[in-house]
Amino acid sequence: MRTLSTQKGSGCVAEFTLEAKPVLGGFTKDWSGTTLTELTNLAAVAVSVPAGGEKKLSAALKKSYGDGVPAVGESYVSKDGARVVGFAQDQMMVLWDHPPHGGVATVSGQLGDTGYFVEQTSNWVFLELSGPLSRASLERLSALNLHPDVYPVDRAERTIMEHMGALVVRTGEDTFLLASASSSARSFAHAVETSLDWVS
Amino acid sequence: MSGSMRLSGGQVDHDQVLKFTWNGNEYKGLGGDTLASAMVANDIRLVGRSFKYHRPRGIFSSGSEEPNALVHLRSGARREPNTRATVAELFEGLEATSQNHRGTLEWDLLAFNDLLSPWLSAGFYYKTFMWPKSFWEKVYEPFIRSAAGLGSLSGEADPDAYDKGNLHCDVLVIGAGPAGLAAAVAAAKSGAQVILAEEDFQMGGRLLAETYEVNGKPGADWAQETVAQLGTMPNVRLMTRTAVFGAYDHGIYGALERKTDHLSNPAGKPRQIMWRIYSKRAILCGGATERSVAFGNNDRPGIMLAGSVRAYANRWAASAGKRVAVLTNNDDGWRTATDLVAKGVEVAGVIDTRDREPLTHIPGAAVVTGAAVKDTSGRRALKRITLTNGQTMDVDCLAVSGGWSPNVHLTCHQRGKPVWDEAIAGFVPGGTLPVGMVVAGSTNGTYGTGACLAEGRSVANAVVKDLGFAASRAGAAKADDEPSDVTAFWHVKDSPSRAWVDLQNDVTSKDVKLAEQEGFRSVEHLKRYTTLGMATDQGKTSNVLGLAVMADARGRTIQETGTTIFRPPYSPVPLGAFAGRAKGKDFRPTRLTPSHDWAAEYGVSMVESGPWMRAEWYPRSGETTWRDSCDREAANTREKVGVADVTTLGKIDIQGKDATDFINRVYSNGFAKLAVGKVRYGLMLREDGMVMDDGTTARLGENHYVMTTTTANAVGVYRHLDFCRQCLWPDMDVHIISVTDSWAQFAVAGPKSRDLLRKIVDADIDISNEAFPFMACADITVCGGTPGRLFRISFSGELAYEIAVPSRYGDSFIRALMAAGEEFGVMPYGLEALSVMRIEKGHAVANELTGQTTARNLGLGRMVSDKKDSIGAVLSRREYLNRDDVWHLVGLQPVDKSKKLSAGAHFLDKDAEPTMDNDLGWMTSVAYSPALGHSIGIGFVKRGGKRFHDVVRAWDGVRGEDIEVEIVHAHFVDPEGERLRG
Amino acid sequence: MIINHPLLGPRDASEFYHLGDASLIDRPDPDAADAADQFYEYVYVRENPAGEYRELWYHEAGDRSWLVVTRSTLTHEITNVEPARDVARARGRSK
Repeated sequence: MRTLSTQKGSGCVAEFTLEAKPVLGGFTKDWSGTTLTELTNLAAVAVSVPAGGEKKLSAALKKSYGDGVPAVGESYVSKDGARVVGFAQDQMMVLWDHPPHGGVATVSGQLGDTGYFVEQTSNWVFLELSGPLSRASLERLSALNLHPDVYPVDRAERTIMEHMGALVVRTGEDTFLLASASSSARSFAHAVETSLDWVS
Repeated sequence: MSGSMRLSGGQVDHDQVLKFTWNGNEYKGLGGDTLASAMVANDIRLVGRSFKYHRPRGIFSSGSEEPNALVHLRSGARREPNTRATVAELFEGLEATSQNHRGTLEWDLLAFNDLLSPWLSAGFYYKTFMWPKSFWEKVYEPFIRSAAGLGSLSGEADPDAYDKGNLHCDVLVIGAGPAGLAAAVAAAKSGAQVILAEEDFQMGGRLLAETYEVNGKPGADWAQETVAQLGTMPNVRLMTRTAVFGAYDHGIYGALERKTDHLSNPAGKPRQIMWRIYSKRAILCGGATERSVAFGNNDRPGIMLAGSVRAYANRWAASAGKRVAVLTNNDDGWRTATDLVAKGVEVAGVIDTRDREPLTHIPGAAVVTGAAVKDTSGRRALKRITLTNGQTMDVDCLAVSGGWSPNVHLTCHQRGKPVWDEAIAGFVPGGTLPVGMVVAGSTNGTYGTGACLAEGRSVANAVVKDLGFAASRAGAAKADDEPSDVTAFWHVKDSPSRAWVDLQNDVTSKDVKLAEQEGFRSVEHLKRYTTLGMATDQGKTSNVLGLAVMADARGRTIQETGTTIFRPPYSPVPLGAFAGRAKGKDFRPTRLTPSHDWAAEYGVSMVESGPWMRAEWYPRSGETTWRDSCDREAANTREKVGVADVTTLGKIDIQGKDATDFINRVYSNGFAKLAVGKVRYGLMLREDGMVMDDGTTARLGENHYVMTTTTANAVGVYRHLDFCRQCLWPDMDVHIISVTDSWAQFAVAGPKSRDLLRKIVDADIDISNEAFPFMACADITVCGGTPGRLFRISFSGELAYEIAVPSRYGDSFIRALMAAGEEFGVMPYGLEALSVMRIEKGHAVANELTGQTTARNLGLGRMVSDKKDSIGAVLSRREYLNRDDVWHLVGLQPVDKSKKLSAGAHFLDKDAEPTMDNDLGWMTSVAYSPALGHSIGIGFVKRGGKRFHDVVRAWDGVRGEDIEVEIVHAHFVDPEGERLRG
Repeated sequence: MIINHPLLGPRDASEFYHLGDASLIDRPDPDAADAADQFYEYVYVRENPAGEYRELWYHEAGDRSWLVVTRSTLTHEITNVEPARDVARARGRSK
């Protein structure tokens, strides 16, 4: 890749500095014990499996994350707390606590050239929905069958909610990680909020 | 006392008194009442006027089959017309009013319609009001429309919320009568996930309305205990007030839950929820509906279904009359007499149309067999009945049972055809049922409580076994099978008066016969000609009766006559429930650009662009029209520097060893030799050779590209790329992911754009013209280390860049760009200025890329490479698309520069008539060009590329304009492109 | 409708985009002598069977798999669902 930036610390001081702003400004709300909270420190990097390269990537993943390429709809958590989600037939998403840019360097540092990496942190809004009303509120939004026998912890599927694409990861019995496009984040949060208002 | 007709006992709470009003008068009901039962208890007889003849009507039934008792519920914006009083739960403060009358309900001024009945028979609107012809639209139809019909809308927006949802189960049990409860218990005990849906607010079905015993205790008590037991099971979801209204593909059912309709105030919660229930199996236990008999004046208030009269007495402790007669053709009708007597209600007589011994002794009642009711009298309420044997009885209530019709509706939603069962004189499910559906209980023609309980259990056990669960060994609840023999009896033919078949649509037996005489013999024709079985009750009490009368008129059997096709919904579903929460701003998601909040602070006029909200212009004080702002923004960009948020363009990250080859195949122009660090314009065709989309694609690395698409086509192009890589070239190593929302991307355009960016991009990055020429791209850092991407591309035709940072930095970044640009006179520009500048440069957008334009039409014919294959290349070479007189995209300017051009105008040669044959093409986009000081346009002109400087007419028949325009090159500004390379 | 996704199990049809005839996989050889005719057939000419039909569906709001769904146009019964990529390979498509 052609990069015009030279060495670090070239001595110049920038006149302007930029500040990363969570797309919902760090939204959080409580419905007597069920909470909806924007996860502002979650980074996302998409990792694609090169044609014919699954074995190599799987081995690298095992080394750094503890398991291989997850099947579509499945996910696992590494011992460092990174979640690897089977996103598409030849693509996964790595999610972990990290500043809002520079994630690709971290992941490619671990996986080398065994995959293709794309920065996705800013592409998404991440919401954690947790508490006894979580399933009832999702019933109003999604056609996924979230019964724990069908959709156990670590299940991670993409679906549609109020015309918005959404990734639904079950991270606990009553806890879900929801991810949707950042440009429609306010509509997405509003949809989940409305459901919680109406089932509470 | 909650009404003069109130009895003791029942399923109502005698301690919970609820006040309600009917036509402004206050009454008292009880907890557990429906509006109808409370009206019965208060001796309210007259509840409405009929559809066509404005005949006085009373409550006819006790459930969702009700054809008469349609009322306005609530008031103001919450007024809901055509509510069936029989399913409206009573709550404190309920307001109900009658509908379809002029003047008061008692003195309806339109009651004279009844006297006009000879002219209002079936199909009258095709016959009676034909002359003079011009009167139909202006006089007859408006009058008929206002006189006929049902309730009226409030005319205000519905203030309440509605929602939708999705549920999953192994077994859906529809209906919680004896069969449904037995089925639910059996299915639940196997461990299957069970949903039990009941339309009523209390589970139990007929057990609530009868005096039958189950397992040695009153049926209603057994039902209550069973429901309580099911309620403790985690695999069971009990849904009362939930009508399953449709059976759809693959085990999906539509259900409407009336969530807060029974509360005086929904407190912000949804009134109703439309559920989509995904079931592996469904057990339909929908019960059966009683029907009437057609005899003279059988529509008077006080003439009711026998089972309903019994239900009012047993369940709601309300007597439908002080002196009651029963007319029946079956054993079940007798039960009404027995139960009424047990409740202390006087039964004057039982008339059985069958010539048989009395079924049982009814104390105090005259029993007449082998006879029927011939006529009735009593204007606003029943007073007397006259039997076919001439005998008369003075009664205020006639309980009629013409037999029971199984509720087969849902079995027919996938075109199942019910079959006639003579033994029960009813249609039972037949043909192909919806996938996964089985039927139990009286819907199946199984009458008798004991039999229903047993069948519910055995059907459920079979279903769960089929699904791989172990069926419970628990036996069925025990109950007797009450007698239910029936001998069909439809119609008292020697009645001197009109006999109603369909009360809701005012269809009489005469209308059915008339339809037959006039050739409308197929049941589907009968239905449409007479409107039999239409409207809110969907003919639940009338269909079979109508068919029977038709069959009789034709001398055929009922099976031969057949039934109409039942379609969803089984019971009315408000449009609000179909809309759910998708109204107003929530109709669809809104996408916001990263500079949205900044723009709002700065002062902006936003416009919807698909799902996106985009800045159209940024008004300043003193500017009076959008044009002022737009002209200033365009001029400032051409003279100094402007900034626009272009995040909405689709961005697709493409990587892989075959990425270059892939891109070279999806774009019609060559991409094989694009160097790393360079951007190229790409033209994408559909396989039919028409232009699909265009955009720029940057090569960020050997195997790494980022493609941009137009805002509108972002989704479609992504889908197309996925189609190409999965379906056409499955072994290519190509990976795509959308990064549209990842990057906040801004166009920085104008002669000062480089100066501005020098203050933004980190100092060690050289963006001089030599180091970073036109069509260069690079990964960079900005503002002291934030990663970014820089592209030297231009839509405006000026020296311009697009610069991107991760979108979470976008808000901060636009503020930095504006601050950095202050000394250079930076201004933000919106979509309108962007559009002006692109028209000045002749760039095509959606106005031009209509899906019917070829590269050649756009003057981009050379961009379809003949050196390679690409999607659309073969068919783009078709002779017809390459003939001499194809349209060319050209520029147009008015000969008289003071004239304003209009998009949509068609081009004609100077002396040509405006005909299709003379049509030369059309104007696609127009703008006022601040750079040129006059109106300009671009458009398609036949052979336009060979007609520069010709003058043609821009003829606009819609706006009445006819303006001479000169054909010019579409590049109005800087045609050589010197500025963007500078 | 429910489409039984080979990787994800039964999913509501609302998550999918429907394209049409699965023969769209069989893009003709652009270098063939009669390529123009073949492309004409490929783009415009369709069977319209009353019965079993193989068609392309895209799991757009899901894992973005293109699927070949065998569906009866008379009853909507779906008898087979395969990843389109596998079908394409089986039909001899590669790069």
